Amino acid sequence: MGTVTQGPTRGAQLGRLERLPWRKIILVVLSVLILAVVLVGAYRTLTLPEDQAYSGTAWRNFIILGLAQGSIYALIALGYTLVYGILRMINFAHGEVFMFGAFAAFFFADAYEASGFLDRSPVASLVILLTVAMLTSMGVAVLLERVAYRPLRNAPRLVPLITAIGASFFLRETARGFFGPQTRGFGVPTALEGTWTILGIPIDRIQVLVLVTVIIAMTLLSLFISRTRTGKSMRAVAADSEIASLMGIHVDRVIVTTFAIGGLLAGVAAVLFSLTFESVNFFMGFRPGIAAFTAAVLGGIGSISGAALGGILLGLLQSLGPALILTGYDIPSPFQLKDAFTFFVLVLVLIFRPGGLLGTGDAEKV
Amino acid sequence: MGIARRSVMRGGAFGGIAAIYIALVGLYTEFAELELVGEQITLGRVMLVAPALVAAYAVTRPRVVAGERRPVGFGAGVAGGALTGLVTGGVFAAAVWFAEWFGVDRIREVFIQVSEPLIAFLTFDQGVPAGLPILIGISILGGAVGGLARTAPAVARAPLAVGTIAVIAMAMLQRIIPIVFVELGFKADWLYSPVTRGLTWLGAALIFAVAAAANVLWHRSGEQTRERVRSTVQEAPAAKLGLLVAILAILAIMPLLLGTVISEVLGQVMIYVLLGIGLNIVVGYAGLLDLGYVAFFAFGAYTLGLFTGAFLNTTAGAAEPALSADLNFYVAIWIVALLAAGLGLLIGAPVLRLRGDYLAIVTLGLGEIVSIITASKWAQPLIGGPQGMRGVTKAEFAGLNFQDNPQHFYYLVLAFVLLALFISWRLAGSRIGRAWNAMREDEQVAEAMGVSTIRFKLLAFAMGGAIGSLGGALFAVSLGSLTPTSFELVVSITALAVVILGGLGSLPGVVVGALVLIGLPGLLREFEAYRLLVYGGALVAIMILRPQGLIPNVRRSRELHEEEVEQDAWAAGTTGDREAVAAVLPGGGLGVGREDIE
Repeated sequence: MGTVTQGPTRGAQLGRLERLPWRKIILVVLSVLILAVVLVGAYRTLTLPEDQAYSGTAWRNFIILGLAQGSIYALIALGYTLVYGILRMINFAHGEVFMFGAFAAFFFADAYEASGFLDRSPVASLVILLTVAMLTSMGVAVLLERVAYRPLRNAPRLVPLITAIGASFFLRETARGFFGPQTRGFGVPTALEGTWTILGIPIDRIQVLVLVTVIIAMTLLSLFISRTRTGKSMRAVAADSEIASLMGIHVDRVIVTTFAIGGLLAGVAAVLFSLTFESVNFFMGFRPGIAAFTAAVLGGIGSISGAALGGILLGLLQSLGPALILTGYDIPSPFQLKDAFTFFVLVLVLIFRPGGLLGTGDAEKV
Repeated sequence: MGIARRSVMRGGAFGGIAAIYIALVGLYTEFAELELVGEQITLGRVMLVAPALVAAYAVTRPRVVAGERRPVGFGAGVAGGALTGLVTGGVFAAAVWFAEWFGVDRIREVFIQVSEPLIAFLTFDQGVPAGLPILIGISILGGAVGGLARTAPAVARAPLAVGTIAVIAMAMLQRIIPIVFVELGFKADWLYSPVTRGLTWLGAALIFAVAAAANVLWHRSGEQTRERVRSTVQEAPAAKLGLLVAILAILAIMPLLLGTVISEVLGQVMIYVLLGIGLNIVVGYAGLLDLGYVAFFAFGAYTLGLFTGAFLNTTAGAAEPALSADLNFYVAIWIVALLAAGLGLLIGAPVLRLRGDYLAIVTLGLGEIVSIITASKWAQPLIGGPQGMRGVTKAEFAGLNFQDNPQHFYYLVLAFVLLALFISWRLAGSRIGRAWNAMREDEQVAEAMGVSTIRFKLLAFAMGGAIGSLGGALFAVSLGSLTPTSFELVVSITALAVVILGGLGSLPGVVVGALVLIGLPGLLREFEAYRLLVYGGALVAIMILRPQGLIPNVRRSRELHEEEVEQDAWAAGTTGDREAVAAVLPGGGLGVGREDIE
């Protein structure tokens, strides 16, 4: 147990030491070390003998997988970023909003699979699945705001964060109680099995669906934010909620709208995610939620294009990183450490550039 | 004097929705068989009344009209409560009817808890239409009681409430108290029925009478007597010492009275008390929200294993870890604590400039990295990876076996808890504690007054880390084997819930928090599946209703004196409801400066 005594004389001695920019030195050493580890790992992976190395096709698949995965993260990340932009709070329970959407879609997919509707008219059933998931996620998000966050609107910053963590566990365990603890298989229409060849590259049909849907959703969202009156008031509240309310904007309504939009996007992400992994369970929200939050922070939390960029980058990093860096060090089953990669990126971004890639960097201030 | 009809409808509807939620999440079915009093009053049935009761209690709260607090009258309270109960029961009964009409099996495809036994429980085995009036009637009764609890004259209210709470508490402790009675040589049959294990009607009536009478006597005794007793307990050194000795004596004989099964639960409680004390230094004293506390817990457990010569589990049998030593437990544990303090510095150094919520997320990330690596195959040669380790030392000492005998283990962990409590208590009042206080309340001002915030933050991380690692090390001793599933985010969240439920910065709070959150689920096995649900719900509820916790830190409550609170409530544009006032309390001083409240 370390005891620290600090008489006046020792304090004076320490003063000189403290004047050295320790933090900067540590950070520089740390970044050089990390860079060296990454470069050496990548070099060693790429110079592996032919029979152990990943093939060109494998790398291409990693990239496509990363893009698809990353675009799902981007959708979830928008929920974090929109809420953070307006309330300056981390909605830790957003992953659970996503999970409820997935469950709602699952029950419909399950019924449609049994009745054969899923295979007979895949487009109609996908539209229904998306609608159901979006509405459910939106409902959960709005409810969450109303019950857990609104009473804390003016509380110190850590209070809503603790509430959000509590709400996250509460919702997760609620889903366990409601729907049961087991993982369930999510039915995929036969029309989405196999691959499509685009520009001479075979791509999984689901991944094509994911990319197209995400691009549409993102476009609609940016149109909504930039063109509509509600979008305008959202931007106004994000800039300064007090002034916005003086200008006649109903702040509470804008906040609810923000949560609702975050929920809608999470619902879309939930269907895409469940189709990709073909399963749902009550704890499926946690890891994608954290990954999406990381993506939002990576791109610059509060920035919408940042969420998109961060999502894609993180997706690529998750799919390429373990293969590219860890394989070089002979680490067994590198993809087990995929999530550790996410958290590592999260920690590094917050330490080195808390404002994110597209952010302003002011997040560092107390 | 009356209550608005809208308020009754709304409150009642919320009660109904709450009841439907409890049914769907499976709590009724889980607790349907847990008898509290006689055969009729089960925990499930108490929970059946609870939504109406709570809704009515909320609906009949005093209104604030034009800045004046107007309590609801007695008759109006009971009538309003009963009406609220009627709405709650109506909503719930309608849902049950719907379920029966729609088909229980079809609903079960989505909500797995909906079943014929559930319907039978809710309709008191009378089936749907016949049982529904009973359900509604019982809700009306619950609502009336809720209204009564709020509006009855204080003379009647206090003894009734105290008596009821005493009965429920004694009934919940049904796995402990009979054992103590038997151990002390008394018969317990008259109090606890050997058939249902719950209280007998006679026992419940006696407990109610004794508790209520004690309450009445206490209030009759006059203000002066009460004040004298209070000040003696709080101020006289002899009384304080006596109290301390009494608590220590109870702690010392508890495992002997309670037998091995409950001692095991107590050992777990004590481990979380230790974690709570450590986390309390970081979160409660220094105001740094650490969500990765499991890192220290895991570090303590695994390093202790390595230092005391534990083996790796592999598919081929036991194997020697890549690095290990064969030290005595009583040497190794101090090295573990020291190393953990170093780890605290290492984790703390790069993140300390970050603002509160970012710091929380970074520590969460670091904690998760630790648990992922612990469970990965990469860590196999060092700490066993997914298979884990076994053969952790039994820490044998003077014939005591701390691994196989939970009673002995309790004493080991109690010794460390007392040590940590002492250190923590002395720190809180010291120069260091005051520096932490200043830093938590306003970092910039503290810095300006010459408090080296970096140094004190690091110190908090090191102290918290060392104590957390002790918890991990003792956990390793108690189990003897380690698997990565014991070292997940849940540990951090549980420790946080313990600290927050008890009250940030409050040491008695940590003990109470651990007893409630770890002890109760340990005693009533039925709770086990709903532990995390309760933790999550508790975190939300406390933050909204009572951010200072169950047993608030005295200084902190003084800091939040009334005036300030009312001003904040006014500034927030709220009507001055108690709940709203509680909501704007500055979070029990969660380390955020006043200017953040805006």
